Order: sequence, then C-alpha cells, then structure tokens
Amino acid sequence: MSIKEEGRITFSLADALRLGYDNVKRRFNRAVLSIAAIMLGIAFFSTLSLMDVFFKLHAQAGGGALGVEGYQYGLVLVSLAVCTISITNSMLIAVYERYREIGTMKCLGALDQHVLKLFLVESIILAILGGTFGFGIGIVASILACGLSMGFHVVLELPMTVLLILLGKVILLSITLSAIATIYPAYKAAKLDPVEALRYEI
Amino acid sequence: MRSDIIIKTIDLARYYELGGEIIKALDGVDLEVRRGEYLSIVGPSGVGKTTLFNMIGGLDRPTRGKVIIDDVDISQLDAYELAWLRCRKIGYIFQTFNLIPTLTALENVALPTIFAGLPRDEGRRKAEIILRSVGLGDRLDHKPSELSAGQQQRVAIARAMVNDPAIILADEPTGNLDFKTGREIINLLRELNRKRGVTIIAATHDLKMIGVSDRVVYMRDGRIERIEERKRE
Repeated sequence: MSIKEEGRITFSLADALRLGYDNVKRRFNRAVLSIAAIMLGIAFFSTLSLMDVFFKLHAQAGGGALGVEGYQYGLVLVSLAVCTISITNSMLIAVYERYREIGTMKCLGALDQHVLKLFLVESIILAILGGTFGFGIGIVASILACGLSMGFHVVLELPMTVLLILLGKVILLSITLSAIATIYPAYKAAKLDPVEALRYEI
Repeated sequence: MRSDIIIKTIDLARYYELGGEIIKALDGVDLEVRRGEYLSIVGPSGVGKTTLFNMIGGLDRPTRGKVIIDDVDISQLDAYELAWLRCRKIGYIFQTFNLIPTLTALENVALPTIFAGLPRDEGRRKAEIILRSVGLGDRLDHKPSELSAGQQQRVAIARAMVNDPAIILADEPTGNLDFKTGREIINLLRELNRKRGVTIIAATHDLKMIGVSDRVVYMRDGRIERIEERKRE
C-alpha cells in the first residue's frame, strides 16, 4: 500500500461517543465539577421557569397575579454565564492533564478534528447529565416554593407537556452552553503539537 | 517494484532557536534504511535521535533536507496523508510507554484500529490476538496502572503493531526498564522483526541493547558518525 493511494483516517461519532463516555465515567472526579456547574445554573433556570408556570396557573384559578420579576431573570443569566466560565476552566485543566494522551493519539493517527470532536462530545455528555440533574432539582425546588405559598393543588395541575417542553429546552440550553464553553479548550487540544505534548512532563 | 530502501533521509537538518541561540538538533543526516532490517541508532541523549524519529514520523518539519518513505517525499503530504502514515505505516514505541491511563490493555491496543477505520469488533479481535502473541493474554482487561513496566511496554508494542505497519520507531524502548526486562523487550522486537518482516529502528544510549541489530548507526552532535554492519545472529 502506498501513502498516496490510501489515506482514509476515520473517527466516527459512535467512536467519539464511546471514548468520550468512557472518559467521563473513568475520570468521574473531574467530570463531577463540570456536571455540578451545569447543574446549578440549570437548576436555577428551571426553578424560575417552573415558578412562572405555577404563577400563571394560580392566576387562572382566580388567585392573585404573581410573577417572576425581571431582575430574577437577570440573575439567571448571570448564573448561566458563571456556569459557562467554570466549565471552560475545568475543561482547560482537563486538556493540560491529558497533554500526553492527546500527543499520543496524534502519533497514532488522530487528526486535529478528531481531538476536537472527542472533547466536544465529552462536553455534550456532561451537559446532558448536568442538565437533567439540574432540571430535577428545579422541579423539586419550584414545587416546594410554590406549593408552600399557593397550595399544592395548584402545582399538581401542571400539564405534562409543559414539563416535557421545558426539559427539552433545558437540555438544549445546557448543551449549547457547554459546547460554547468547550470550544476554546477543545481547539487548544486539537492544535497541540504532538512533539511538544510528548515532551511534556506532568 | 518496491525498492529495498524503505526510508531515506537526504541532508536532513532541524534547527531550534532557544533563548536566541540556534540549537542544531540534526545537522545533515543522510541515512538509508533497508526494508526488513533491525537498525539501532546509538548516541547519548540530546544527540538528535528523537528529532530524527519525529521527522521520519512526520510529526515535525525539517529545517533543511528531505525524508523519503517508500519513494514518497513526506513533505509533499497533507495533514490527512501524514495521519494515515502515522496510523498505518508507522508504529511508535516510547520510552515512557504513553498508554492511555483510562483505557484497558485491550482498548489501548484497539485504539489505532479505530483511526484506521476497522469495525469495532474486528479491531478488538485483532488487538486480542496481538496481545496474546506478546504474552499478555491474561492481562487484556487490566489498566496500565495495574501492569508492570515491562508489561506496559509490551502493550505499547502490541499497539504499535496492530495496524500491521511497515516500520516501527522505538525511541529508547528500554530506557525505563531494568536490564532483564529491557532484554526481553528487545528480543520481542527482534522476533517481530523476523516473523513479520517489519522494519525496526530503535534508538538507545545503552550499548547492551544493540546485540540484535543488523546495523548500528552511531550519532554525534546531530550527525551520523559511523555505521556498523553486523552479522545476523
């Protein structure tokens, strides 16, 4: 086989998912930090979103008009920004920890884009985990907060479709934030010079 | 017709700048490596052995000169073709093993088959066969941290061999091993060289590790000092 006639190097999404999933599982201590960051931001976001729904249900049922205040949404934005920055931070540390590993993979034939893909896929796995847990916390927190003030009969009227649509939004939001947060660290990993990386001592 | 020369370097040089000073890691190396031979490159550390390997593997670009592998000047290759070269044509073995710590022995060896586009089952099957052939059939699901240094280097050798490369570049493969284990590793490399016909280039600073070589290249200050022909044992 000559170099010129072949030339197919592959790294499918399924491969990236499998490797990424293994990595999240086996480096769970590192993953917990990122998951926690996403979880907290998303918990705050989903609590407020659900409270808003409950307030509307309450108003429809003839209760007083309550509402989520504008500044509270402002706080949510700030917390989501903080969560994004802390994911970037923990991903950067992960890249440094895995310098040699990345260099080795490149030696074995990985292209820049494969390294990028692997880190992005990992961040998406973290986002889905963090988003789901955060949503769970949000449900509990909002039910407690609204149930205690307006009565639990109101919160029990929450339609399932509203909940599912919100879950979809939340997962989408956490994936987007996590992906944005990971672009720079993943790009840095992908552009790593293998010669430099293999010389690197941890 | 394939030529008998698998790798050829022509006036190969690599200079670095370090603190305003020019370091000549390689300074005009002309070397022809024969297909199927076991070539040792000997010299103290810092003599340019690793730099030479980086050039041959296409990991680094020369300041001057050329590397020709199977009649192709590798400076003409794009990123895809270089990755293919590293994946399919060349196997790497390092002094520090460089296994992926989170993956088992089997997964480490199967990793290059993913990039080579082999279906997952086939890659794992191949990895298992080759791990058995280096004597690690009972260590497939162990992590690197659960293996001895010699076993880790065997895993690394299996990983280097899994895509059936034509060339193996071994950079100080025994540098982190005791004498006995080092000899075992060298003998294993020699066995692979004979059985599979893979060309092996092994860098070492240890003269005790060159006994199995067909030829020995002595390097000094980024140049080849002399080349010694040896009889096949």
